[in-house]
Amino acid sequence: MPDVMIEVDNLGIEFYRSRRRNLSLREMVLKGRNTAPTSTFWALRGVNFTVGHGEAVGLVGSNGTGKSTLLKTIAGVLIPDEGRAKIYGGVAPLIELTGGFLGELSARENIYLTAGLHGLSREAVDERFDEIVDFAGSQVRDGLDMPFRHFSSGMQVRLGFAVITTLDEPIILVDEVLAVGDAAFKEKCYKRMESLLAQNKTLFLVSHSENDLRRFCTRGIYLRKGELVADGDMDQVLKQYNADATGD
Amino acid sequence: MEIGHLKALWRRREILQTLVRRDLRVRYARSVLGYLWTILDPLAMALIYFMIFAVIFKRPDAGHHPYFLFLLVGLLAWQWFNSSVTETSRALLAEAKLVRSTSLPRELWVIRVVIAKGVEYFLSLPILVAFTAIYMVRGDTTLNWRLVLIPIGILLQFLVQVGIGLLLAPLTVLVEDTQRVVRIIMRMAFYCTPIIYTLETVPETLRNFLYANPMSGILELYRAGLFDEPLSLKPIVASVVGTVVFMFIGSTVFGRLERSVLKEI
Repeated sequence: MPDVMIEVDNLGIEFYRSRRRNLSLREMVLKGRNTAPTSTFWALRGVNFTVGHGEAVGLVGSNGTGKSTLLKTIAGVLIPDEGRAKIYGGVAPLIELTGGFLGELSARENIYLTAGLHGLSREAVDERFDEIVDFAGSQVRDGLDMPFRHFSSGMQVRLGFAVITTLDEPIILVDEVLAVGDAAFKEKCYKRMESLLAQNKTLFLVSHSENDLRRFCTRGIYLRKGELVADGDMDQVLKQYNADATGD
Repeated sequence: MEIGHLKALWRRREILQTLVRRDLRVRYARSVLGYLWTILDPLAMALIYFMIFAVIFKRPDAGHHPYFLFLLVGLLAWQWFNSSVTETSRALLAEAKLVRSTSLPRELWVIRVVIAKGVEYFLSLPILVAFTAIYMVRGDTTLNWRLVLIPIGILLQFLVQVGIGLLLAPLTVLVEDTQRVVRIIMRMAFYCTPIIYTLETVPETLRNFLYANPMSGILELYRAGLFDEPLSLKPIVASVVGTVVFMFIGSTVFGRLERSVLKEI
């Protein structure tokens, strides 16, 4: 087994069925208690696995089975209620691509900001700046000093993808955003992913596209109702998932 | 906050700098008069209270002399306190997208607001220097060695605001009405802080209550170097204690609620 990069140990995350924000002060004062239903469910429970250096793992499962929750926990933006998810190395999260961008700032400032939030120093961004802009395309280059909110949503995502994939972190997490934008840009995204894999990065991918899963991943992990039901060769796992999906 | 946590925050200081710079750029990008607004508000307030208490009511004992300078010290510091508390209470909610997409230590979102507002406070201080100079030339005021207490005041004010922010930011995410309550409390807190009056003029029983306000001692530290009145130690000691208490409560509550907050935003 190569060096462990991701270690998930008896992981459990519990959610409230209703939004906790229903907890309103007025209600608590008037009725003396919080009337929001407090029933909970486990989005993930008792999940165990490790991912080694350079492995490409695809997460399989139907909607609402905890795939994104698992990804977010590995990315460190959710804290587990049980067990732990430990990573050995930095993470480049392709999760909410435009999450770090701010409409009021120019695209140029946004590149520095987002890259900075993910741990790149100013000098490091200086070095990669042209690479990022080249990848995002000529439209983005023309609008570099324009407020980011004037960008089309397609251009925004392209820039997001370009910034995160240049982070040079050993672990890459992808949530359904493997290919964004128009057909030409999609091809560029695929090429970028393949070159990252060739650099022996560790990939953890959530997707509903069997093509993507087969193209990039050798190992599959299958989640059902928050539990891990299969972990093994991608083709085998997909076969089992498809058999289950047509079963009900 | 444990030591490990503080270290993690220290390692991210470059990001903190980026965020603060961004806050200031956003604040000053939209309006050319940006800087003017920072100083106009406290100046206008100082003028109003000066008119009411020094001109209309003719109360020479309202505060230290010169009263306008006395007001200005308090109002500029209050502006930092007020904007910091109001903004930190929204710190996690307002940046939900950023909080959701990066795994930075979450305390950072609160601290960065306090620092950004602190920079604005620093930028507004030249106006205080200018008025001090004017009053010195006219022979109405003299400076003394206790000016060295000002940095201590700034440090205490920074820490107490971080503590309050850490307490309020997660509460605002989980309890809908937090911000309304904060707004009312802040309005009351303004009058519970010796900004337009001195602690000495306050009746004894009420005064003991006002000592509990950490801002009382902090203002005492700011004013000590500009006015000759004897330094009263009680509020200063109380504000050191208050700062520690707020830091403790804030970081405990933040640590307890962090998990739920991340699921909510």
